[in-house]
Amino acid sequence: MAVEMKLPPVLDIIRSNIVKYGNPLALKGGEVAAWAKSLNLPAQGELLFYTGGEYQLLPYIDTLVKTMTKVDQASKGFSLLMGVRNVLDKAGINAEKMYASVLAKDKERYNTVCYKAAVILRQLGYELSYSGEHELYSGALLYELGYWDDLRAYAPKVANVIAQSGAKTIVCLSPHAAEVFKYVYPKLLPDFAFEIKTFVELVWEKRDLLPQVDYAAPVVIHDSCRLARELGIDEQLRDILTSVGVQQREALRNRKWTTCCGGPNKLLFPEISHEVAERRVNELTHTEAETILTSCPYCLSALENGNAANAGVEDLIEFLYRGVKP
Amino acid sequence: MNTDLQKEFADYTKNLNAAGKDERIKTALTRAVHAYRSTVDETLQRFPHTPELAAEVRELKAEAVIKRDDLLRQAMESVERNKGKAFYAADKQAALALAREIIGKGKVVVKGKSMLGEELHLREDLEEYGNEVWETDLGEFILQLKHDRPMHILSPAIHVPREQVAEIFSKFFGKEVPPDIAQEVAVVKEFMRDKFFQADVGISGANVVAADTGAMVMIENEGNVRLATAAPPVHIVFVGVEKIVPTFQDAMKVAEVTWRYAQYGVPGYVSIITGPSKTGDIEKVTTYGAHGPKEFVVIFVDNGRSTMATEPEFSAALHCLRCGGCMYECPVFQVTAGHFGHTYLGGIGTVWTAFVAGGMEKAAPLAYTCLRCGRCVERCPMQINIPAMVGELRKRIVNGEGLGKEEVSQEEAS
Ligand code: SF4
Repeated sequence: MAVEMKLPPVLDIIRSNIVKYGNPLALKGGEVAAWAKSLNLPAQGELLFYTGGEYQLLPYIDTLVKTMTKVDQASKGFSLLMGVRNVLDKAGINAEKMYASVLAKDKERYNTVCYKAAVILRQLGYELSYSGEHELYSGALLYELGYWDDLRAYAPKVANVIAQSGAKTIVCLSPHAAEVFKYVYPKLLPDFAFEIKTFVELVWEKRDLLPQVDYAAPVVIHDSCRLARELGIDEQLRDILTSVGVQQREALRNRKWTTCCGGPNKLLFPEISHEVAERRVNELTHTEAETILTSCPYCLSALENGNAANAGVEDLIEFLYRGVKP
Repeated sequence: MNTDLQKEFADYTKNLNAAGKDERIKTALTRAVHAYRSTVDETLQRFPHTPELAAEVRELKAEAVIKRDDLLRQAMESVERNKGKAFYAADKQAALALAREIIGKGKVVVKGKSMLGEELHLREDLEEYGNEVWETDLGEFILQLKHDRPMHILSPAIHVPREQVAEIFSKFFGKEVPPDIAQEVAVVKEFMRDKFFQADVGISGANVVAADTGAMVMIENEGNVRLATAAPPVHIVFVGVEKIVPTFQDAMKVAEVTWRYAQYGVPGYVSIITGPSKTGDIEKVTTYGAHGPKEFVVIFVDNGRSTMATEPEFSAALHCLRCGGCMYECPVFQVTAGHFGHTYLGGIGTVWTAFVAGGMEKAAPLAYTCLRCGRCVERCPMQINIPAMVGELRKRIVNGEGLGKEEVSQEEAS
C-alpha cells in the first residue's frame, strides 16, 4: 500500500520546476541560453555542447535557500501540490522580485562560464552545436532526490531535444549531467546511445594545444565526488594543469578520497552544507595554494560559499580561459 | 494513508544544526578521524593481506545472506549441542520478552557494548522491569549516567570530553573526580569490579558467530566483556542473525577484518565462547559452572533483518561489520557525529534505521542528509554501496513505497 509522505516543500518545488519548466529553478530558456548569443553556435552537429542550465542557475540557488528557510517548512499551509511560485507567494515573497534581486555580477560571472567553455573547446578545434533556448536540464536532481518516476516521464523530452541536434557525442559541463546521461538514461531509454563526455575529457584529449596560463602562484584541485568517484576522472585534471604550466598542490584528501563540498544537501540542510563546505575549503587552503580549482557547478558554488578563508575559487573553465585570447 | 514528515524533518533539522555548531563535537571528531586514519593506514601496511581477506569476507557474507535460514538452524543446533540454550526472536518485542523471562526481576545485570542492545533498548527495558543494569563499557557507562545515546558505534561517548566526564562522575560517585583520564578510568574500574562479581547475569553481543561450532566471537580492548561474560553465573548473548557465518575459520576471517577496520590495530582481547563453563576433572564427570557461567543462552534476533535480506537493493547492508570506518569518512558525520543517525548512524545507519530501528519516517530525514558523495564506499571493507541504497530509499519515500515488497509480492503470487 502506498503511503503519501509529506516532504519538505523545497523538494517538490525543485521537482515541479524541472518537470514543468525544464529547469530546477524555472529559469526561462532565453535566460539560460543568453550567453551564447555572440557565438552563433549551430543547432545541429555531431558534437553537442550541453550546459543543462546548471552554471546559469547558480546565482539563484542561494536566494532560493534563503527564501526557503524563511518559509516554515513544517506549517500546514504548504502542500506537495504547490509549485514554486505558489509557495513563494504564500510566504509573501514575489518570485520575480526574488530572481531580480540576484546580484548582476554573479549572474554575469556564472553565465559567462558557459561562454568560456565553448570558446576554449572551439579553440581546441572542436565544432560544437547547441540547442539554445530549447536545451532542457538533464533531470539529475530528479534522480538524486528520489523522483525516479518523474525522471522516467521527463527523460524522453530531454532525449528528444538532444536527438534533434543530430549529435553523436554530448559534451557535458557538469559531471552530474554526464553521470545521469551515462548511467541512468540508458536504463530508461534503450535508444539513448550517445557518447557522453565531460568538458574535462575533451580538453584533456587536446591538452597539448592549450594556451599557457600565466599564473605564478600554486593552485589546488578540488576533485568533485562525481568526477573522481563515479566517472573516474582525476589524473586528467592534473595533466591539463601541467600542460598549461601551472604549479599544483595536492590536498591531503583528494582524488578518490576527496571530501565532498557539501553542495548536495544544501537545499534541505543549508547550515550543515555550509559547515561542510567551510571545512573542505580549509583542507584545500591548508596546502597554501592561492586558488582552488574545481570542475563542477555545485562544487564551485558550495566552495565559494564556504570560502571564509578568502581563497580564490574558480572553475577549471574560468581558469583555462585566462590563457585564451578570443 | 498520509504521513506528514514535515515535523519530523523540522525537529531533526533543529537538532542537526545545533550539533553542527557544537565546537566540542567538531574538536572530538577531528581528533578521532585523524587517529582512525593513521591507525588504519599503519596497520594496513603492517598487515598487507587485509584487503584480500576483506574480499574473501565479502564473498562469504554474501553467501551467508543467501543461506541464512540454514545457518541460523545450524548455529542454534550447535549452541544446544554445547549445552547452551538457543532462542530465536523474530522482532524486538519477542527479544525483550525472552530477556524478561530469562532474567526475571530484582537482578543485577552487567552488560557489554552492543548495537543490538541499543536497537532493542535492552537496558532500559530490563531496568523498567525491575533490574539493576550496568553498562560496563566505559563509553556506554558515561552515557548511561548522562542519559544520552551513543554518538559513534565504537566510541559511543566520542562527544564527551574529559572535563564533562569528571563532572558526571563526581556527581555520581559523590566525590571529587578530577578531569584526569587515568583517574576517571580507575574510579570506574573500582566501582565495576564489585558489580561484575555481584551480578546475576552478564549480557554481551557478538561480532561474529560460527554456525558449525556455535562459537561467539567478541572483540574488545577494555576487558569488560571478558569479565561480564565470565564472572556472573548466567551469560546471555544477544546477536543479530546477520552475524552468523558458516565455519569457525570464516569467523576468524570476519573477526580479523572487523578489528583491522575498526581501528583496534590488534585488539586487547578476542573472546571465543561456545557454551557454559564446565569441568570433568573429578572422575571425568562433566559438571557445569566451574569458574565461569553455569548457564549460557544465545538469543538470535531478526527484527527486520530477513526483510532486508529479501530486498536485492538492500541485502548487502547486512554485510556490515560495524567497523565504523564509513562514519569517520563521512563529511556530515564529521561535523554532527551521531546526530546524523537514529540508533544506527550515518549512511549505513540510514538503511538500518529504515529496516530495523525506526522505519521510513525516521530514515527519511537521514536519507536526505546523506550527501551521496560516496567516500564511505572507498573506506568500507565490505564495499557496501551506501549511496545507491540511499537513492533507493529516497525513491521509496517519494513514492510512499514501503520495505520488503519482494516478500509481499511473493506471498501475493502464491
Ligand atoms: S558500512 Fe562498511 S565501513 Fe561502515 S561500519 Fe559497515 S562495514 Fe564498516
